[in-house]
Amino acid sequence: MKALNTIKVNKWRYISLIAGFFLLVAPFAFLSGTVLMAIGNQATADLHTFCFRMPLDWFFSGRFYMLIGSVAAYFILAVVLIAFVAGPVFCGWLCPVGSVSEATSRATPIPNKYRFKIKNPGVTSGLRYGFLFGFAAVAVIAAYKLAPQIGNVCCRYCASSVLQNLASGLFGNPDALGYWHSGAIIVLASWLLIGGIAFAGGRGWCLFFCPLGAVSNLAHKAGAKLGLYRTKFNKEKCRNCEKCEVNCPMWAIKEDKQVNTSLCISCKECTHACSNGAYSYQRGKSKDA
Amino acid sequence: MFGDILFYRLCPRLRIENNPSLKSSSIEGKNRIRLGKRTKWIAAALIMLLITIGAGAYAQDYGKNEIVHFWVAVPAGEVKEAKIMRGAGPPVSLSPIQIDLNARGVLKNLIQPNVEALSTHWIYNLGQKPVRIQMELVNCSIPVKWEVNANFPYDPETHTFIQPLMPGKSIPNLGLDWIFDIPTYESTIQQGTEGLVYNGGLLLTNADTGERLTLIPIKIGYGQASFSSAAGCCD
Repeated sequence: MKALNTIKVNKWRYISLIAGFFLLVAPFAFLSGTVLMAIGNQATADLHTFCFRMPLDWFFSGRFYMLIGSVAAYFILAVVLIAFVAGPVFCGWLCPVGSVSEATSRATPIPNKYRFKIKNPGVTSGLRYGFLFGFAAVAVIAAYKLAPQIGNVCCRYCASSVLQNLASGLFGNPDALGYWHSGAIIVLASWLLIGGIAFAGGRGWCLFFCPLGAVSNLAHKAGAKLGLYRTKFNKEKCRNCEKCEVNCPMWAIKEDKQVNTSLCISCKECTHACSNGAYSYQRGKSKDA
Repeated sequence: MFGDILFYRLCPRLRIENNPSLKSSSIEGKNRIRLGKRTKWIAAALIMLLITIGAGAYAQDYGKNEIVHFWVAVPAGEVKEAKIMRGAGPPVSLSPIQIDLNARGVLKNLIQPNVEALSTHWIYNLGQKPVRIQMELVNCSIPVKWEVNANFPYDPETHTFIQPLMPGKSIPNLGLDWIFDIPTYESTIQQGTEGLVYNGGLLLTNADTGERLTLIPIKIGYGQASFSSAAGCCD
């Protein structure tokens, strides 16, 4: 009953997440396929068409020339700009990598008390941006061969690639599941099993290993400080029921119930879970940003 | 007295407001909390930074023998040792490929030891003339799947790029994977190859004239010893 109610109040988000899967993941990839067709590109569209990681790797390693003309780079720019204005809505409403792990989490009947969760959003945020620093550092080290022992983490640990292979395998191309390298096995475990099932909310990968998510949230934090769209908390309406904390897949609700903009993906789960209307998605300057 | 203590325990802010001497220590306390938060953030970030760099080191380690990515250029002749080719396009590093199946990651060897792959995203024409490139894995007796995706017309039957590749250009948006079915070590012993699974190479020819453009030798085997016994494959 509780689950049905959650689905009912968040139905538009879940419809959007399903649509995100069909828009970006092959064999459907309706959006990426349309974009490739429009620009006359004969490559087969899949989740790699709008790679969530490589343009960031090029950017951090200073290889800006590789960004020119890259469809994925324009896509990432759009995602980050939207995050600046309206919050990381791509992460919360469209991203198939996050939605599949979140759906796996919700479909697994394990009570939240048996799942892992860091209660301090500051620590979660530290881990998240620590990964982003690491991703950027490794991008530089690998691009300029500063340490021959260190290779790129961008493509070797790619959840999009694993998801694409799973989807291709499920929808008519079993060969796609034919090869697994060590990185892909680690990603499958950390994205779906650990991040999806063992972590409360099912967004462990998004929290700790997604560079696009981290960059989007940096943009969102800046936008929120300027008074652009974000989830705001009204202390007067709060009855301390903690439904917001339980429902937030990104562990973004602080101890004082304020929303941590470094983690929030504007999914509105807290807004819909709060029966007292303490959370609202709006713009305008206030001291909570 | 006890009531006061209990009241102030429950309402620390009122305790501070009613006792001005505590105000300065409260600011110190807040600063300490802020400092504590920052320290936790930095400690968490450092831990994750180290984990990520460690993941990069592991990727580099297993990447030498699992789904090895390599660059291809034509015409380069037979690539007997690592070299940098210069020509109409950007400089391209080429080298022979050796995959030691024993040196793959633990998880790979545990979960799926019987499949290995090679991959390229970069085929450049460094010559002066446009060329239609045909590819072949020479001396290959083990089952291998070709997975090709590119923004360039390709014939999967003949493994040929149908259009000529212009000088200085590369195949756009290329993703080319070869997925090998790997026989067990025991079966290589039975066949008398002493752990050597594949001793061949990727041969690129001019599809119109049949001219050999580039040969990148590829060896796949169980342990370094298997390579030393292998002679050149394609002379």
